[in-house]
Amino acid sequence: MAGTIIGQGITIEGELTSDEEVVVAGTIRGKLSADGPVTIEAGAVVEADVSAASLAVGGTVTGNVSAAERVDLLGGARLIGDVKAARLTIADGASFKGNVDMDV
Amino acid sequence: MARGSAVERSRTSETSESSSVLGRGARVRGRVSGDGDLRVEGQIEGDVTLSGELSIDQTGSIRGDVDAASVTITGVLQGDVASRGAVTIRASAKVKGNMGGAEVSLEEGASFAGRIEAEFDLPAELMPRQGR
Repeated sequence: MAGTIIGQGITIEGELTSDEEVVVAGTIRGKLSADGPVTIEAGAVVEADVSAASLAVGGTVTGNVSAAERVDLLGGARLIGDVKAARLTIADGASFKGNVDMDV
Repeated sequence: MARGSAVERSRTSETSESSSVLGRGARVRGRVSGDGDLRVEGQIEGDVTLSGELSIDQTGSIRGDVDAASVTITGVLQGDVASRGAVTIRASAKVKGNMGGAEVSLEEGASFAGRIEAEFDLPAELMPRQGR
């Protein structure tokens, strides 16, 4: 099963680090870094810089994000911040404001 | 102790209390608060305030004060506990702090340093005799 699940009603104010997968359905303010994949579900609010192996965003993120592999902004996602990743997809219906660095 | 698996948790209903897991490889430095249950397999350095149940697994540790509906400790806790329900300290637990709850149970083998303050009515035979 997934390593860490931050449920809908839960708020973390501070720093969350993980060696494994992280799924966020709640709120994180501060910093999020994981060596595994990170999923930010629809309805989740992340006001933090995020670094992960890969990142899928369905919710709202305010902060800079970086991923070793890829960043996927899903439909309904909202990202305000810069993206640093080798691969990036932005789905129809996602909103994004920021710069992209694909490390070319 | 029914606890729905996190995978089954409804993603559509906003009202359903979700359950959260802080995995083995995870670490939080800061405050954790909110509704629903939380299982801690990793580390938390900071206070935890929950409307639901908190359980600290064998691999889990919390350094900070804890406030939850009920608290079950199998791992390590350094801090005070305020619980509206039961506080259960299992055999493998290492706990340092003051426990406050409706009921507090301490299993044989657990290491514990602190005060226990459980609020309950004494049974009649232990009550001070009237008119003596």
